[in-house]
Amino acid sequence: MSKPHYDREHHVKKATGIGDPQCFKGEAGTARFKVGDKVRVRDLPDIFYNRCQVYTRGAPATVVELVYESPPAEDEAWDNCDNPEWFYSVVFKQKDLWSDYPDTFANDTLETELPERWLEPA
Amino acid sequence: MAEKHKPAPMVDEVSDFEILEVAVRELAIEKGLFSIEDHRRWTEYMHTLGPAPAAHLVAKAWLDPEYRKLAVKDGVKASLDVGIDWINSMPTNFGTPSDYCNLRVLEDTPKLKHVVVCTLCSCYPRPILGQSPEWYRTPNYRRRLVRWPRQVLAEFGLQIPEDVEIRVEDSNQKSRFIVLPVRPEGTEGWSEDQLAEIVTRDCLIGVALPTPGVTVNTERPVHPAVNPLQHDH
Amino acid sequence: MTSKDPDTGQTLPDLDTSPIKLLEKVRREGRVWDELSEQYGVDNPDPPWRLSLESTCDALNGGYWKTSDLCASKDDRPREVDECKLDALERRSEEDVLATDLYADVPFPERQLLALAHSMIRRGLLNEEELARRMKEVDQRLNMA
Repeated sequence: MSKPHYDREHHVKKATGIGDPQCFKGEAGTARFKVGDKVRVRDLPDIFYNRCQVYTRGAPATVVELVYESPPAEDEAWDNCDNPEWFYSVVFKQKDLWSDYPDTFANDTLETELPERWLEPA
Repeated sequence: MAEKHKPAPMVDEVSDFEILEVAVRELAIEKGLFSIEDHRRWTEYMHTLGPAPAAHLVAKAWLDPEYRKLAVKDGVKASLDVGIDWINSMPTNFGTPSDYCNLRVLEDTPKLKHVVVCTLCSCYPRPILGQSPEWYRTPNYRRRLVRWPRQVLAEFGLQIPEDVEIRVEDSNQKSRFIVLPVRPEGTEGWSEDQLAEIVTRDCLIGVALPTPGVTVNTERPVHPAVNPLQHDH
Repeated sequence: MTSKDPDTGQTLPDLDTSPIKLLEKVRREGRVWDELSEQYGVDNPDPPWRLSLESTCDALNGGYWKTSDLCASKDDRPREVDECKLDALERRSEEDVLATDLYADVPFPERQLLALAHSMIRRGLLNEEELARRMKEVDQRLNMA
């Protein structure tokens, strides 16, 4: 079953010559989190399409960068581009993601990007 | 006596796979799934892509501290200096649907080593790095790198000291990544071209370190997985 | 029968991974680039159709101004956005499943090509019989002395 065939003309008009995600700049409003904040990945129900990896759910992380504003992939898949969110680059300690990660490599980390809806203050 | 120029070897037969590719494409065009012009535009664009611009971005950053700062702060702007326009290239003029327009350059330090993966689907910075290698696309690499990065890097011949932080970058959204490795010793006085030559595609993904004298990607060793894929999430 | 993606937990689209006769024939009888390049001593790591295949995958995804409309000014006539016929992420997800199950022993990019043809046939974008007929025709055309 493929995604619904929706009219993409609005997006193409909006983004041509400007870029994606650049075309959403200024639309997400005030960012909830700032660099340095401690956050936790929420475990939202996975009924529909999402791009939040299962291995991050419930794990603590630190915000390292506010990367761009964009509709989350979860909304874009259904042509809902009305509510762009801030996207954050967050860093996890590997030890917090995998319980059997060797202590010898305690410094190892993993970084990924997540939209605001997937994060809550830790 | 004039020397006869030996023609380059060519494959002198047509395989069923080649036939299948043509047949799929022709039928798709006839059924209006895409136009012949669109396909041509994409193919022309694809032919322009390769790892050289990314290698030059790194070489420039090694030579010029101000450019290094720009590269880390604004990868899209820095790409323009190596001839890559993430936004205005054809065929779309707003970035390709798979690659978007947000290059982030990950700066390694002596205490921090980056390596890139896309666990969800194998997203890759094609506009500046070309087509991704086969191993990058496999579930084998994608699932194992996030969990056992040191084992996977060891399979590529890379041993990283335990006090150095390995940071796996899981490229799951609109950003695309290249690694800016630490400039190796033994390259003092080198030109940009000489430096770019040792920044291979594998160095830019983060599974290799630039080394004087090494200008090719190594063959990926085929190891049976030490920790095989487990669907235990 | 649906399954969950182990990485995101999302429900994966149904994909019929049962073998398709035509593609099984290609798989059995087709000569892969690894073999051909070795036999003929050709250095190029990729077959000549590799980039064309990538372009087909991107063109199927659509989502941008049709190239035939690119030159038309905005005031002239309405421009058309190329529709998405086969979403790239869905295609990749199906390719992953097919690569692990059905086409595991086929080298890449032959595997990518078989997976694409498989997805297109199962989705009704292409028909197995007409693909077989077209292949015969292309074979004759390409092998004409």
